[in-house]
Parts: sequence; C-alpha cells; structure tokens
Amino acid sequence: MNQKKKKNSSEQQQFEYCEVCRLNHNQGRRHNYFPSHKTSLATLLTRFQSKLSDVKFFLKTPMLLRPEHAHQNRLWCPFCNSDVLELDSHLACGNAIEHLASVEHWKSVKGFMWKYGGGMDRVDLFRISEADYAKWEKKCKSLKTEAAKVESFGPAFEPLNNIHNELNDDYVNSFQQNNVNFLNFSVTNGVVPLHSYTNERAQVSGSVLSSASEAGPSLHNMSGGIQVRDAKYLKNSSDYMENHHCSNSLARECSSYGYLTSRSVYPGARIANGEDISLGFPKLTQISSTSQEAIEGNVHTGAPPPWFDATKGNQPDLAWKPELRDHVSSKAGKSSKLNPKRVGAAWAERRKLELELERKGGHVNNNFDADWLPNFGRVWQSGTRKESRKEFQTENKATHKADHQSEMLMPLQPYVSKRMRRDASE
Amino acid sequence: MEYLLPTLREKREVDSLIRDTLDKVLVLRFGRPSDAVCLQLDDILYKSARDVSRFATVALVDVDSEDIQVYVKYFDITFIPSTVFFFNAHHMKMDSGSADHTKWVGTFMRKQDFIDVVEAIYRGAMKGKLIVSCPLPPERIPKFQLLYKDV
Repeated sequence: MNQKKKKNSSEQQQFEYCEVCRLNHNQGRRHNYFPSHKTSLATLLTRFQSKLSDVKFFLKTPMLLRPEHAHQNRLWCPFCNSDVLELDSHLACGNAIEHLASVEHWKSVKGFMWKYGGGMDRVDLFRISEADYAKWEKKCKSLKTEAAKVESFGPAFEPLNNIHNELNDDYVNSFQQNNVNFLNFSVTNGVVPLHSYTNERAQVSGSVLSSASEAGPSLHNMSGGIQVRDAKYLKNSSDYMENHHCSNSLARECSSYGYLTSRSVYPGARIANGEDISLGFPKLTQISSTSQEAIEGNVHTGAPPPWFDATKGNQPDLAWKPELRDHVSSKAGKSSKLNPKRVGAAWAERRKLELELERKGGHVNNNFDADWLPNFGRVWQSGTRKESRKEFQTENKATHKADHQSEMLMPLQPYVSKRMRRDASE
Repeated sequence: MEYLLPTLREKREVDSLIRDTLDKVLVLRFGRPSDAVCLQLDDILYKSARDVSRFATVALVDVDSEDIQVYVKYFDITFIPSTVFFFNAHHMKMDSGSADHTKWVGTFMRKQDFIDVVEAIYRGAMKGKLIVSCPLPPERIPKFQLLYKDV
C-alpha cells in the first residue's frame, strides 16, 4: 500500500513533454484525456491530413518536379519529427511518399498514436500502403522513360532563366571579380566565403572582409598587405561599415562611397522615359501614367462578348476561395482574441459573416460593383482616405465622360423599391 | 516569378483579394517582370512569403495590364516596383522618411528588411494605427525623387 502511494507520488512528480500541446506536464497518461490536449491533437491531425491529401494527389498522378520548385515542396512529419525535403528528388513529393510508405514512419505513427491517444484505428490514415507505393513506383518508372524519350528529341525542361542570367553581363562580371578578390583575401584569413553571385551573399562576404579589416590596425594597412586589384573591394567594405554605423573616422570617410557601392549592388535598371533620377540609389523605372483607356472592342474587332467577360471575372474569386475558407474557419475561434480596435475590425467582421453565409450555401449578394475601389490615402491629398477615394472617383468619371460621352449607355433596369431590395438581400 | 507568386492582371482579382484578405497584411507589388529591380524585389518577396504567411499575403500586380490602369492611376504609381500595403481592406501607410508615405518604392535590401516592414505594419494595424513608421535605418531605404503631380 505504502509502496503504491510512493509510486503514485513519484509518477506525479515526473514531468514529461507533450509534443502535441507543446508543454511539460506531470499528469502522466491522464493528460491525454484533457480537452485542451484533445483539441490540439485533433487540429494537428487534420492539418497533417490536409497536407497528406496533397501528397496523395501526387501519389495518384506522379509529376516531375522542377528544380526551382524543389525547396518549396517539403513536408513536416509530426510523427517522426522530421522535415522531408525534396531537394534531391526529381518527382513531386517523391521523398515524402517514400517516407510515408517507410516502415520507420509506420512505427512512429503507431508510437505517436499510442502515446498521445489518437485512436489506433486511424493509424492507416497517416501512411501510404505498400500496394499504393508499388503502383506509384511503376508509374514513376514509366514517366521517367517517357521523359528520357522526350529528352532524346530535345531538352524537355531546360534550366529556367533565373535572375542572374537575365542581368547584364558586366554586372555579373564585376561580381565575379569581387568574388575572386574575396577568395584571394579570405583564404589568407582562413575564412572561406560562400561562393555565390547573389547580392545577399556578396554582402555577407563583404562583412567577412571588413570584420577582418576592423581587426586589423587600419584599412590602408590591410589593403597594403594584400594586392587589391579591384577598387570595388574597398567600396564594398565601406558599404558594410556604413551599414553598421561604425564610429570609425575611416568609415565615415568611406561612407561617401556607400551609395556608389549600393548602386553597384543593384543591377542597372532600364529607364523607360530616358529620365535619370540620379539620387545615388538604384535607378527605378519610371512608368508614364499616360491614360491608356481601354479600347472597348466589339464583335467585329474580335473582342469576347460581355457575358464571356463576366464568367471570366468570377473565376478569380473561386481561385481564392479555398485559401479563404481555411482562413475563415481557422480564425473563427481566434477573432475573440483580436483587438476590437484594430484597423478595419468592422469590415473584417462583416466580411467574415458574409463569407460564412456564402459557405453555408446561400448565394449572398456578393457581387460588388466593378468600380469598387478600396479607401486609399493618395500621395498629394490631405484628409481621410475615403475623401481621396471619392475625389479619385469623380476625377475618373470626368475623364471617362469626356472620352466617351456618346458611348455612355445607361443600362435600363426595372425599378425595384428599397424595401424589396432589402428583403432580397436578407 | 509568376509561377512562384500569384500574379494579378485584372481589377476584379485585385478587388477580391483586397476585400477578402482579413486580419492579414496584404502586400501588393506593382511592377513588371521584365524590370531588373522588380525581379530583385520579387525574389525577396518570394523567399519571405512563406515566412510571413501567418500574417501577410503577398501578390504581384502587373502594371502593364490594361485592366489595372485604374489602380495604377489611383495609387499614383510612378515608379516600379511599388509596394502597397492593405489591412482589412484599409490602406496602411508607412513613414519611411521619403516623400511618399503611401507605398514602398523600390526594392528591399534583404529578406529581413521586408519581413521587418511587414511585421511593423501588422503590429501597427492590430493596434488600430493607419500609419506606422519604418523600422529600417535610413540607409537601407531606397531613395527616389517624387515630382509634384502635373508639373
């Protein structure tokens, strides 16, 4: 009896970590039956299942994965506590499917369910059966042979142009030179910089440089020690110093170069109007806001009829819906915690209700006006944002009227009384 | 970049995105994919879109599109890339020491800068502020010159 009590107390004192609730507790197995644990477990499992449904889509229809999408395509397995990356696989979700079909995953799912009480009967939902996996492998093989066939005729998917290829050559060249300098330099320090052409990396390597130069007695001495072939090396380090508010007087001297460097960091922008805004910072393209009024075509000019246009307009709404639906449902419980005075709180509540209604089936009068504009505080306007919107709308209408005065055709609509309209919307 | 981030070409798409992004910051980048600075900004946006996905939605808007011209005019977009922020269909301004508080003109120097800006806007909006001050040091804010309209 005494022993049992002791055992109980020692059990109570033992803290363990619940991965589902992300907290340490000393409740033992009892913890699994707490409502908070149950809800968080349910959300975790449903979230993982939604991800699994994506993976299962690729299980049915294997697809080749482009290398630039590879790092986007990854899966966190909460059972094995591991991130399944697709960096080395050629098929979409290839590694994830392999992982989900593996015996280790199967075991850890069982372990997880046993430990956190998810119901052992649901274990099969979170894995991929061997039969499916075998089918998938077969499909993949056929896909690969097909791809190989296509490649023998011509490259099926050549590496897509990324930013670096599209830059002008001298820019890349200058970076290559820079990088060479960094290499030469930092090898003497025993620090190997990341060899890459992106700007961020270049900044990093710049920081390697100048941290070294800070360590040294002075920049001039350092540069005297090493052969500096390119003046850009100096500039780069000065840029770094400027960024970090070095109180060094030397840095201040150099800081005048800072803008120059940052300009060299940026690829030369083309200026559309030929106007150079030489303020030292990246040259931005100026777009002329010449009023390109929509040339309204008709049947004879080959424009689609208006009803086609209308259906097209509805599609984007649908495209955004799935994301929204999760959003609304996930935020439903959260909204009570949000600050009621936050920006647009009233709008958010109203819109949420509308979306909720829409989800329940009833087609709410959601078709907002085609001329709808958000409130926007314009650059040259004082006053509220609503005022500036109104001003723009009047401006816009004025120009419109001047342009197609004759073309303005008011659509004739039967009169619907206000009360009727209200009833319909309700 | 279009295959990485949603690109909007119609006014209706922009409208519905502004209206339906609730309790999240909406980041709208106005630009064109052929522009080098735009590409740099797109790269940063794409790389950090996942990191900020809890409190922000990022979308690209093509300024060359015929349908978008209303917005280009309304938002006074004279330089590309320009980035406009919305929260619950309300415009969020940012005082970054430059002439234009209504939008971010130019690119960000690095990923963290963008994330900081979006976070500042989100925090400000959650406290009910319609304008926030820029969290970045002035040397990391791109400079530009704004001409007075109709001059």
